[in-house]
Amino acid sequence: MLQLQFTKDTLPDSVSNDFQNLNKFNEQQFTSLTEILFNFLLEPKEADRFLHQLSEFAGENGMSAGPLRNLMKSLLLLPHGSLKKNLTEDQVKEDLLTLGVSEDKADHFSQQWSLHYPVLSRLAVGQTLMVNQLVDMEWKFGVTVGTSELQKVGNTFLQLKLVIRKGNSTENVYMELTLPQFYNFLHEMERAKASMDCFS
Amino acid sequence: MSYLSHNKAPSKDAVRQLCADSFPSGAPESWRLAESTAGTLSVSAIEAKELIAALHTLSHHILFHNLTAPEQILVLFPKSFHPSLKILITKIMLEHSPTWRNEALSNQISLPHLVEMDWRVDMKTASDSVSRMAVPTCLVHMKVEDSSCLRGSGALSSVTVELSKETLDTMLDGLGRIRDQLSVVAGK
Repeated sequence: MLQLQFTKDTLPDSVSNDFQNLNKFNEQQFTSLTEILFNFLLEPKEADRFLHQLSEFAGENGMSAGPLRNLMKSLLLLPHGSLKKNLTEDQVKEDLLTLGVSEDKADHFSQQWSLHYPVLSRLAVGQTLMVNQLVDMEWKFGVTVGTSELQKVGNTFLQLKLVIRKGNSTENVYMELTLPQFYNFLHEMERAKASMDCFS
Repeated sequence: MSYLSHNKAPSKDAVRQLCADSFPSGAPESWRLAESTAGTLSVSAIEAKELIAALHTLSHHILFHNLTAPEQILVLFPKSFHPSLKILITKIMLEHSPTWRNEALSNQISLPHLVEMDWRVDMKTASDSVSRMAVPTCLVHMKVEDSSCLRGSGALSSVTVELSKETLDTMLDGLGRIRDQLSVVAGK
């Protein structure tokens, strides 16, 4: 039973084999594969590009695309788990060595990990659940010139439109504020920001 | 309006009350008001209704044109109108004007008004994608008057919004710009 830091689950044999098969690649091939992998991690939406690059690699190196894709799927488990557990470069290297990957490949991969870690962790935090996230705010303010009841008025008003993400769609909330309300709102938001700044 | 001058000594208070009662927008249609007025003034309900309508038109005309000087109002009465009654009604109308004006201002059509707002800052410590983190986040709760209901009926709808630090900074930028523009306008 392998003692791994990036996951507590027992890895299936196919996955362990995939990691050991990494040793079959030469240095240049391993570097390219690592690059393709991290490109995907940094832009997770580009799944098509990832698969395309893998097919190209397979073609250039005389191997079939299918097994290569499976190998990469297994390999992806390591950065995903490490990100979740906030693993350091050394810990990632240790896990790779435990899995039977050669020293220099383990070195290279863990160095790339450490290099990209800040961006990757920010991405992960960005994916964290947000409830009713404020996406956009539009505003306009103006002066009421007259109404049906009062021929001449001169009141300033502020209208806000808040765009809120609810699940997959957005909802617009419209509201109007008087000037004193606006100043109060601004004041409260400044207090909120001061409170947030204490924590960072 | 001549009905009032025909009337046998309605008390000052009765006139005052009548002016106040005839102001709201539903007053000219209200039979209940017409009947109670008819009782007070000893006239028929129909006559009372016409009286209320006349007072209503007068008060709204004064409000619309923002008439503030007694002379401006006195000219509105027919020449044959009882003089001291004319002055009394003018005085009552002027007394009520500020209140009525404020009422009209607060009842004007607008987008739903913000009624209440509060916020809290939370610290996110873990999630399914990252098991250890320390990310502050801000939750803002706003109570907004429900636009589909009558104003003042107390129906409020509530919205809670979450903002990340970047969003809050951007929002404050926007609010700051509004404040700057407002002070430019105020300075003019």
